[in-house]
Amino acid sequence: MKKRWNIILLLILAFALVWPYVGPDYQVYLSLSLFSYSIALLGFNLLLKYVGLLSFGHALFIGLGGYTTAFLTSEFHIPHMEFSIILSILICAIVATTVGFICVRYVKIYFAMLTLAFGMLFHSVLMKTYHLTGGDEGMALERPYLLGIDFSSMGTIEFFSGPFYYYNLGILIIATIIMWRIVHSPFGLCLQSIRDNPDKAKSLGIGIRKYRLYAFIISGCFTGVGGALMATATGHMDPGMVFWVHSADLVFMTLVGGFTNFFGPMLGSLIFIYLRDIITSFTEYWRFIFGALLAVIVILCPGGAMEALTNFFKLLVGKTKPGEKI
Amino acid sequence: MIIEAQNIKKYYGGFCALDDVSIGINEGEFASIIGPNGAGKTTLINILTGFLKPEAGRVLYKEENIVGMGPEKLTKLGITRTFQLSAIFSELSVLDAIKIAVISRQGKGMRFFADLARDKQVHEQALEVAELFEFTDQMQEKAINLPQGKKKLIDVASAFALHPEIILLDEPTSGVSTSDKHHIMQVLVEASKKIGINTVVQVEHDMDIVFSYSKRVIAIQQGKILADGTSDEIKKNEYVVSAAIGRKESFTTFRDIMAAKGQQGA
Amino acid sequence: MIETVFNILFSGIFYASILFLVAAGLQLVFGVQKIFNMACGSFYALGAYLGIFFVNSFLSMGGTPLLALLPLLAAGFVLAIIGPIIERGLLKFVYDRDEHFQLLLTFAIIFMLEDVIRLFWGTSPQLTVGVYMAFGKINVLGATIPVYNLIVIAAALVIAGIMGHIITHTRFGAIIRAAASNNEMAQAVGLNINNIYVKVFTIGTVLGTIGGALVIPTTAAMSEMALDLVVLAFAVVVIGGLGSMKGAFAGALLVGILKSLTITIYPELEMLLIYLIVIIVLIFKPEGLFGTAT
Repeated sequence: MKKRWNIILLLILAFALVWPYVGPDYQVYLSLSLFSYSIALLGFNLLLKYVGLLSFGHALFIGLGGYTTAFLTSEFHIPHMEFSIILSILICAIVATTVGFICVRYVKIYFAMLTLAFGMLFHSVLMKTYHLTGGDEGMALERPYLLGIDFSSMGTIEFFSGPFYYYNLGILIIATIIMWRIVHSPFGLCLQSIRDNPDKAKSLGIGIRKYRLYAFIISGCFTGVGGALMATATGHMDPGMVFWVHSADLVFMTLVGGFTNFFGPMLGSLIFIYLRDIITSFTEYWRFIFGALLAVIVILCPGGAMEALTNFFKLLVGKTKPGEKI
Repeated sequence: MIIEAQNIKKYYGGFCALDDVSIGINEGEFASIIGPNGAGKTTLINILTGFLKPEAGRVLYKEENIVGMGPEKLTKLGITRTFQLSAIFSELSVLDAIKIAVISRQGKGMRFFADLARDKQVHEQALEVAELFEFTDQMQEKAINLPQGKKKLIDVASAFALHPEIILLDEPTSGVSTSDKHHIMQVLVEASKKIGINTVVQVEHDMDIVFSYSKRVIAIQQGKILADGTSDEIKKNEYVVSAAIGRKESFTTFRDIMAAKGQQGA
Repeated sequence: MIETVFNILFSGIFYASILFLVAAGLQLVFGVQKIFNMACGSFYALGAYLGIFFVNSFLSMGGTPLLALLPLLAAGFVLAIIGPIIERGLLKFVYDRDEHFQLLLTFAIIFMLEDVIRLFWGTSPQLTVGVYMAFGKINVLGATIPVYNLIVIAAALVIAGIMGHIITHTRFGAIIRAAASNNEMAQAVGLNINNIYVKVFTIGTVLGTIGGALVIPTTAAMSEMALDLVVLAFAVVVIGGLGSMKGAFAGALLVGILKSLTITIYPELEMLLIYLIVIIVLIFKPEGLFGTAT
């Protein structure tokens, strides 16, 4: 089973590497969203799948990452993307420590509500600080240097389907490997014990709040990096990216893809981004279709697309086995 | 005395669950706490293991007052417990549940990047405990798929894997059929010896089990200590035993069974 | 100075009245079905849009603005039909599920209803003209208060009174309270829980749609209404306490007056202050002012 997954992943990676050369420009550009949302979702799902905490305010970290990058590139004229990423991580870590310290004392719906409130608090701050952040008009981002190289001579399409695409993909691969290691570490197992039975975990010596807080901080940092890349791809950052509906979009993507699988949310963002694109090309009522899709998933297949797919493959495998025996 | 409760008072709102309870457990003892449902046995365990704070009284562990210290801290000091209602990690396998205890004991809980699958130390120690509790064939099974008795055993096994100095078991054999209870107890006793857990306190309803394995019996009724003595003393106390079982008539049946056992030399 | 105070107070109580209606619906559904209905804002928006349609039709058929309250309330009641549709069609499948999934289903409903509104009314703001003015203003204790606001406040009080009476003095109210405190027990004693769920959800829906309809003369119906309202309603029930009617009342009053206060004195603060208070309440008294701790 593991080997099959490894092969599938390698195939997907190979495809991703050649995609800019075979895919239409617009679709390639959409992939940037896919990559940055995937990174953001790695953070989000750490909390949901492994700690059992549903955050309705994770767009807060997208905002922190995005606005940090906006400030660095446009206001302070520090164009290095690496600098933006590192500073985004630092700022997200600091904010996550404060917000997390308060939020991890609560579970379930109270945690969801608190995170929503913090997200919206940041939203209102952004809306009201016109002089600093451009209020509801937002801020523009300048094109960054990648690995110290100045690409300003390149055309927009060239840059975003070329250097930035591979840069973004590279960060996604690194982020995925790091998160994979985290969830398969002793720390990751302890997180899951807290998710399944906090009292039992306590009785085994696990400090609930400490572990949840650390997970929250790690989660926030990953989502912040996603935000930094998202903002760079669109060249713009506005409070809408922090509005609670954007946080809910993250939840949506995760559920649709399947939150019980490590790669589920990534599949979910793929579905969300590309499906929305396809649907909007023939109807403006994509929200209705997506709402219906989410409703169907919640009611019929809570494990999301990933669960549906694995069941489908199991069905295929099950069908061929008796055939082979005969 | 390794652990001592002094004048514990515990209230749930207006209801007095424990009324001036004092008991002391000596190192190396195997004690049973008996009493009818609602007597306050689990409340006492909760207080001794840091899950609840009493309104009054102290709990001394090795001469130190541990009231107010949470279960996490107490685990590090060597006090562990199991739960009355299956306390399992539903999505985790048997081996994983035990691994968590080992990770906690080895202080590896904060290792973010270490590959758990490759950690031989953790794996071997968890394996050892799993085998002691007869989980050899079920190690990769998700806890939620196992029968009730096995679920309880995972709770016990993982607690044992912490190598505590004293363990408090809340009805370790409930959910297990009567014929299996003795087997579980034997596994438990063997495991304590192998791992080196000296002091065991259990809450138990089955009088046969109580008197077969424990040397000390403490009876609680309506939040007060009814009796506290050796199992030989308590065994003969009609009032205490019938209070624990719940019906006076049962005592005569019980007495006859124990007498018959005595004659068989069981 | 004192006029400003009264102005702030009355417009605050006006906001509070509308918020109370929506929050009461939320609390009712949460109390009985234990679901936080995020789509309450969408019901509010539907009430607003349909309210405009009914009022404008009414006016164009020669109706007098002073009776505009009738088409508005009618719009609210007509929309009651979506209650059973959503409850039986979608919600009933997730009652036994994890509360995260329940929340998400209501979020899915928001998405769908957003496009339903878009389908019928497009994206540009809708309004009804002249109704608000037709009622005029009166002088109360030195402040000039629009009469319409007073009517809405009165309507909200009447509805609150009726609800209070139903809940405490009627058999149906007793049934609701029983189902809210222990629905397994309620089923065990023979109550038809499904029946109760549909009725409660429909009442909750209507409270939301009426709230939206009543606010119409004072503001335009816009596509963001639904989403903006959810966060306000959320603030109200958190502050007041999830599941509590008294909480809906108190929370609505607090949020309404705060909103009015900040808009008048320090507009920059508006939502910021409300969220800060939500966070403070969640930290120090998570069950809210009147809620019962879970």
